[in-house]
Parts: sequence; C-alpha cells; structure tokens
Amino acid sequence: MKIGLVTSTALHVVVLGFGLVSLQAPRAFEAADVESLPVDIVPIEEITQIQDGDKKAPMTETPAPLPTERPDIVPDARKVGENDVDTEAAPVPDTKPKPVETAALPEPSPEPAPDPTPEPEVEQPQANEPEPVPATEVEPQPQPRQEVTPDPTPEAAEPEEAEAENAHLPQTAPAPQARPEPPKAQTAKAPDRKTSEKPATKQAQKPESDEKEFDADEVAALLNKQTPSGGGAKRSTQEASLGGRNPTGGEKLSQSEMDALRQRLGSCWNVPAGVDDADALKVSVRFRLDRSGNLEGRPEVIKGGASSGPRRIAAESAVRAVQKCEPFNLPSDKYQTWAEVVVNFDPSDMF
Amino acid sequence: MESLALVEPTASLSIWTLFWQAGWVVKLVMIGLLCASIWTWAIIIDKAVAFGRMRAALNRFEQVFWSGQSLEELYRSLSERKTSGMGSIFVAAMREWKKSFEKGAKSPLALQTRIDKAMDLALTREMEGLEGRLGFLATVGASAPFIGLFGTVVGIMTSFQAIAGSKSTNLAVVAPGIAEALLATAIGLLAAIPAVVAYNKLSSDAGKLAVRMEGFADEFSAILSRQIDEKVATKG
Repeated sequence: MKIGLVTSTALHVVVLGFGLVSLQAPRAFEAADVESLPVDIVPIEEITQIQDGDKKAPMTETPAPLPTERPDIVPDARKVGENDVDTEAAPVPDTKPKPVETAALPEPSPEPAPDPTPEPEVEQPQANEPEPVPATEVEPQPQPRQEVTPDPTPEAAEPEEAEAENAHLPQTAPAPQARPEPPKAQTAKAPDRKTSEKPATKQAQKPESDEKEFDADEVAALLNKQTPSGGGAKRSTQEASLGGRNPTGGEKLSQSEMDALRQRLGSCWNVPAGVDDADALKVSVRFRLDRSGNLEGRPEVIKGGASSGPRRIAAESAVRAVQKCEPFNLPSDKYQTWAEVVVNFDPSDMF
Repeated sequence: MESLALVEPTASLSIWTLFWQAGWVVKLVMIGLLCASIWTWAIIIDKAVAFGRMRAALNRFEQVFWSGQSLEELYRSLSERKTSGMGSIFVAAMREWKKSFEKGAKSPLALQTRIDKAMDLALTREMEGLEGRLGFLATVGASAPFIGLFGTVVGIMTSFQAIAGSKSTNLAVVAPGIAEALLATAIGLLAAIPAVVAYNKLSSDAGKLAVRMEGFADEFSAILSRQIDEKVATKG
C-alpha cells in the first residue's frame, strides 16, 4: 500500500506542477475592434433616373430645371415652362413672334374718362332706348351689358363672365368687336321679346345672355393669355442642374407605399358578388389626384367595364371604391409620381 | 497573496490563482477531492501490482501442483513460507487433513466437511485481500462529481452575490467567479473518472481470480475426498 500511496502522491504532484506551469490563464479571445458601418440600400433607379434639369448644366444636389422668366407660381404644375396653363407639349421657340391680340389693354386708357361721366346719366335713357327701336337693334344690347358691369351693387353675376382684372376695362373696349356678332344670335330669336323683357327685369336678362351670347371678349381674353408656344407652367427660380426636360420620375413610390395604397383601395372595394366569370371583374381605373390626395374629377374606366351587365357593375364598383377612399394619404414630396394613378382592380390580386 | 493581487488581469485566471481566490468551502471541497484522487490512484496502483502478483503466483502454483509432485512434499515446502492465493488454500486444506489423520479421524464425512470449510475460509480471506479497497474506488467514482458540483454551486452562489454587490453584469466581472467555481467540478470529475474505470476493471479482474481459486478449491476437494475414500477402504 505504501508503494501505491507514494507513487500516487508523486504522480499528483507531477501533474499539478505541470498544470501550474502549462495551464496558465488562457489567452484572451481577440475581439476585432470593428466600427459598425451604416449600410444604405440604394436602388439603381435613383442613379439612372433623369432628373428635371438642363443637359448642359453642372450636376448639383437638388434637381432644378432652367430658370423661368415668370416668377408667379402656378399651383400643381408639372411641366416646366412659362405658360399659365400646364401643357405636355414641348416648348417651341418663337421664331416669328405673332402679334398677340390684346383687345382690351391698349384701348381702355383713352376712353374710360369720357365713359364714366355719361354712364350714370344715360343709364336710364339707354335702357329705355331699346323700347322704341325693337325691330332689329343690335347695338343697344351690348351697351346695357356694359352698363351693368360698372354698377357694383346690382349684379354680382356679370363679373364672373369677364375676368376680375378686366372687370373695369371691358366696359368700353369690347364694344367694337362685340357689336357685329351678337345680332346673329338675336336674329335667330325674336328680337321683340328680348327688348320687351329687358326693361322689365334685369335679372331675367342674365340667363338669356349666358345662353345665347357669344362673348368675344372672353375668347379674346383667353387667347390673349398665352402664346401658343407649348411648355408647361412650372416655375423655376433656381439655377439649372444636370438633367433632362422629360424627367423619368425622380422618385418612385416605395414598395410599402404602393402596398399601403393597394390595401386601402382593396378595403374600399366591394367586390360585386355573384358574378360568373372573374374576368368580368377586372377593371382598370385612371384617376387624377391633387396635392392633398383628393380626387380630381371622376375616375375614368380605361379597361374592362361595359354599358350593362356584370361588367358595368364591376366598373362602377371600382369607381366607387376610388371615390370612397378619397383622401389618399401619399407622400406629398413624390406628388409627381402619383398625380395620375392607374389602378387595376382584379379580385384575384386583392385576396 | 499580495503579489497575486498585483498580477495582471489576464494571468489571474490561472489554476493556482483560481484556487486561491475561491471561498473556503470551495477550497475545502477542492482539497478533499484532491486527497480522494491521490488515494484513488494509490489504490489503483496497489491493486494493479497485487493482482499482477496474484496472477503470477497462481500460474506458478498450478504449474507445480500439476507437475506430479507428491502433495506431502508440496505441503512441506509451502507451509514453511508465506503463501497466497491457491497456495494458502492448499495449505489450509492439507493442514486440516494432516490434523485429522494424525489423530485418527473416525468419520470420513465429517473430515470432508471440515476440509471444505477450511478451504472456504482460506478462499474468503484471500478474496478479502484482493477486493479490499475497491469499495473506495466505487464510492469516489459515484460521489466525486457530486462533491465537485457542490463546490461549484457554492462558488457560483457566492460569485453571484459578489456580482450583485458590484452592480455590474459585465461578462468580465461575472466570468472569473464562475470559472473558479467550475474548477471544483473539474477536479471532481478528474478524481471520479479514473476511479470508475479502475473499479470496473479491478472488480472484474478480482472476479476472474476468485473463479480460478474456487475452481482449484473444488478440484482439490474432489482429490482429497477420493483419498479419504481410499483410506477408509484400506482401513476397513
């Protein structure tokens, strides 16, 4: 037993001694001191898309088209240009500047002075004048109308026809242009009645004039506004940056935004029940939205639908769905991408 | 201790420092397990040597016994020195035989019984010597892991209390205490594994030796019984 004990003790001492020497503290794990990197997922579209801008301009952070000359802002314009009305047509440089008919502007200056004085006096007599000459009088007609405009109190409806700016000016100016035309309209109908009615009630006169009279002033006023040169109405005051005239959408609705829109429309859509073939329910609807996400006009069915039967019901249900969902909550900074939306209503996709 | 405290933190996880930093309960457990391990190995070495000797002795005795040598001569030569294994069984049986015949035994049946008893006694004594301390190995093998676990649990308990006191859950604060506690389990396993392995090996070896000796005892008993019959026949 002694031998065993001694041997065992010796063995343990040797092992422990060896352990103390060799089994020192293990080396600490080497943890690489790495700084975390922010990772962005950048869709290639952001790089390949053509921004609003000019081909020759240097690249800048924010896209900006060539600066326009007219600074006044037209709301919701999408195409860059100098026009008042937003049009898709490309701007055409004016090689031969045509004289723009400015019917109202030049003339008023000399005449207004004489006019106001006689008017107040003549008002009554002029109204009376038509009565004695009922047969084929053309001239008296425009005159009473002009009388109406200066009067601020009696008619509020008249200014609607003429534009606010021109409210004062047309008083005298339209006279030469307007005179020849109105008679045609009048000859068609009995002139007698008209004249008789007029004096009786001024209010009765108004609806008639709306229907019948072709007002050259308005046409001229509309025409005068813009030279037919194309181009949009979007204003730009910033320096131009690199880009194209036809941007391919600087931004796109993200997948989640699309999904949100889809889900919202899906929840508003009452799928017509009891229709035999599901294909009849497939409807494409196009609608325009304004910046606040409200509908502009009635949604238009561009695919599917019919004048009767289940297809018509389907089309109507799709239109109703759009109208019901109306204030669409979409990112306003991407308005360009969702100003016009085409939605395909397909029951197989919705569920 | 002073110098240990000054050791750089990475070195503070060596086994020696782990042992010194442990609480007294854990230290006690570790020391106890270390002693058990030393004793286990002492037994293992002792038994291995003893079994080897026994096997050699059995081989030698069988060779001599079956060589055709007279039993009287063999007894004479063996009774003079210390015997083990089959030798001691043989001597015990022969002594009983001699005593009975010298005094002129009357009943051969009683003589046979006495000789068998004497051989059984000698065999039991031999086996007792062989299997003597194997029980300790079994005990260590079964209980050392638990003792180590006890040390670990106590160590982790105290280290958790210390962590709660330090108000930091940083792994660098938590780890040393747990590592130190786990050392107790490691020592327990270190003692238990050889003990279990050795116990199984030695007990099976002891069983084989016992079978061998029992076989010899039976054989020798048969030889003696034949001799007794012959003696009774010649007398009668």
